[in-house]
Amino acid sequence: MGFFENLFGGRRDPSASVAKQRLMMVLVDDRYKLTPETLEQMKVEIAGVLSRYLPAVDAEQIEVKILRGEVNDYLKADIPLKRGQPDVG
Amino acid sequence: MQRSNGEHMGRVITITSGKGGVGKTTTTANLGTALALQGGRVVVVDADIGLRNLDVVMGLENRIVYDLVDVVEGRARLRQALIKDKRLPELCLLPAAQTRDKDAVTREQMIDLTGQLRREFDFVLIDSPAGIENGFRNAIAGADEVIIVTTPEVSAVRDADRIIGLVEAAEKGPPNLVVNRIKPRLVNRGEMLSVEDVLELLAITLIGIVPDDESIVTSTNRGEAAVYDHQSQAGRAFLDVARRLRGEEVPFPVLQEQQGVLERFFGIFGRRRS
Ligand SMILES: Nc1ncnc2c1ncn2[C@@H]1O[C@H](COP(=O)(O)OP(=O)(O)OP(=O)(O)O)[C@@H](O)[C@H]1O
Ligand SMILES: [Mg+2]
Repeated sequence: MGFFENLFGGRRDPSASVAKQRLMMVLVDDRYKLTPETLEQMKVEIAGVLSRYLPAVDAEQIEVKILRGEVNDYLKADIPLKRGQPDVG
Repeated sequence: MQRSNGEHMGRVITITSGKGGVGKTTTTANLGTALALQGGRVVVVDADIGLRNLDVVMGLENRIVYDLVDVVEGRARLRQALIKDKRLPELCLLPAAQTRDKDAVTREQMIDLTGQLRREFDFVLIDSPAGIENGFRNAIAGADEVIIVTTPEVSAVRDADRIIGLVEAAEKGPPNLVVNRIKPRLVNRGEMLSVEDVLELLAITLIGIVPDDESIVTSTNRGEAAVYDHQSQAGRAFLDVARRLRGEEVPFPVLQEQQGVLERFFGIFGRRRS
């Protein structure tokens, strides 16, 4: 955050959305014993599997979330694929 | 409700939370009074053994002779221990023991007790102690349904989620949620979790939104439920919870920011009669 933004207190996320984000992580951890470390590990392994079929998966870019539903919870993964590097073999 | 053999079957509903101090006792007292005002026969049971509280919130502390532990240990009959409300003849309190600890009763005794009470009353409301230990387990043992109270705070919501898991594991059916102590002004500024946020996190059915309201302080001081106070937003919210519990479809009103004395004074003239 820049000096001026700091000075005027701008650009800080409202505390409620911070609370919500933190709670999302905490509840997932409570329910599934999934710590941020194991989550990272999971991403690396997902990237490993997918790389066997797709050339351009980057573990660092994967976003994994667990969403609460009425009956089930859902694991949602956003996996960006690097574009524009077709295999010129 | 009627059993096939013709026996009366009231609903046993436990009010619980996980985190302490979020409003279980306040909710039990107001919901019980609201249900009785709406014509139900209601008993509220203080299951917070050792930390008796519901009696003072309801203004019945001077009438206690016997308590819940006296009943389960056979020193008093149930009818002797039940205290009639000051105003509503169809509302009763079964007080907790003050001098015993949480382990003075067992789950089986609670199941037996609620089984007796449901034959006499339409609603048996049980005020649970905080926590996830024996006291809580006793409080839900005889329940058909569970209401979970939370405030819109990180720690309260987290503990509510723990409790939801335990209630589901105990096969009590999906619990209903009361979000208590909402401050609309803070929510509008983005500085307090909104009801929608809490619902998204906990994913259970909402049955009440209760604002943070000074009238809870004054009504508790007097030992009168806030539902008697027609000016009380929290009181109205609890009346709505009672109606929803009875199966009515009641929309959730948009909460007003708490008004100053002047606005409230002028508001009296501005409000339409209903
Ligand atoms: N909507 C509200 N507005 C203002 N104050 C409230 C509200 N709800 C509860 N309170 C206050 O918060 C305090 C705790 O409430 P209460 O005793 O009902 O919580 P509890 O969950 O039963 O606590 P415990 O876990 O200790 O049994 C009380 O002083 C009560 O008056
Ligand atoms: Mg209490």
